[in-house]
Amino acid sequence: MHALRSPFARLAALAGLALALTAGSARAQLAIGDALPMKDVKMTGVDGKSVTIAGVSGKKGTLVVFTCNHCPWAKMWQTRVTEIGNTAGKAGIGMVAINANDPAEYPEDGMDGMKQRAKELGIKFPYVVDATSDVARAFGASRTPEAFLFDAGGKLVYHGTVDDSPKDASAVKDAYLKDAVSAVSTGKTVTTAETKAMGCSIKFRAKTTS
Amino acid sequence: MTGPSHSRPRTLIPMALALLLLAGCGHAPGGSPGKAASAASTDTLPLEPVTAEQIHRRIAEPGARATLVNVWASWCGPCREEFPAIVALAERERSRGLRVLFVSADFDDQAPETRHFLAEHHAPGPWLVKTGRDQEFIDGLDKRWSGALPVTIVYDPAGKPVQFWEGGADSARFAAAVEPLLTSQP
Repeated sequence: MHALRSPFARLAALAGLALALTAGSARAQLAIGDALPMKDVKMTGVDGKSVTIAGVSGKKGTLVVFTCNHCPWAKMWQTRVTEIGNTAGKAGIGMVAINANDPAEYPEDGMDGMKQRAKELGIKFPYVVDATSDVARAFGASRTPEAFLFDAGGKLVYHGTVDDSPKDASAVKDAYLKDAVSAVSTGKTVTTAETKAMGCSIKFRAKTTS
Repeated sequence: MTGPSHSRPRTLIPMALALLLLAGCGHAPGGSPGKAASAASTDTLPLEPVTAEQIHRRIAEPGARATLVNVWASWCGPCREEFPAIVALAERERSRGLRVLFVSADFDDQAPETRHFLAEHHAPGPWLVKTGRDQEFIDGLDKRWSGALPVTIVYDPAGKPVQFWEGGADSARFAAAVEPLLTSQP
């Protein structure tokens, strides 16, 4: 067959079936209005305590941010994310930062690194490990950092990035996440509900369940 | 795996020779498809800022049976890992009509790292760098894209995306993504 005459073509043909099953679509993400998933899954925080998303939820809402230690984009936003999380609690929004990365990919993303980073940043909210990456899968999270904000009823009202200026906090024009948290805490509608920014792909652990 | 920002220093002699070659060729800004980045030094490699719209215009240009767009960054581990496989594919399948467009997502002040990486890996031009706001660029390129790096999109000759994925891949996956287009009748 003409198409299979070269070794590379044969290799491509063999890989074709697997590709056909996986390519052509992005990871399914939660949509605005969707319910908070996997809120009772126990995850271990940097303080050694077991945490669930339901357990950190505030009276007015819940903020879940997928992040990690190694990613340059997560690092650029980490101070701003910490500030948002540390103040959100006082406004009735509980926050949890979740690291779903496989530390085998980046040792910096292991628990020791997380503890160190939490201490350096002065994080006052739980910074936990998604030990199977299944929580990230359930959210449809794909990158770090990526934020999901839920209202008091557990419905997604904001999904996306932190703001429009990762590298320079002084140049921020649209503080998407901060504004969304403020809106939810004061009972207002989030004006910009979905945003995107570049980030590091989450290094998912191998799936253990079908 | 390594961290995101490691560079692998190599001898400068090939680059110096390449600089001489480039000077003799009068290389056009932005590079030419098929010209490898080894034909320039890390200081002179001409990077071309592009919007998503400009990338789509390049995809629509005639002359290719398949166009593979890969958005990468010099600090991104999976991007660095998969990059040589794409370069090899580009070289191997150029004569069959494959066009590869590498688009760097590095920041402006990372141009030295961008140039170094492209030269180190002998990446074929044009040497494109994303410009403008993230969301505009991401949605402009493909609304399915979350913004995670790397992202790879394969387009047919009409400019229709036929393969899309986020995250790193191996040489077999890249080959499988373009093979049907390269073997199709024009």
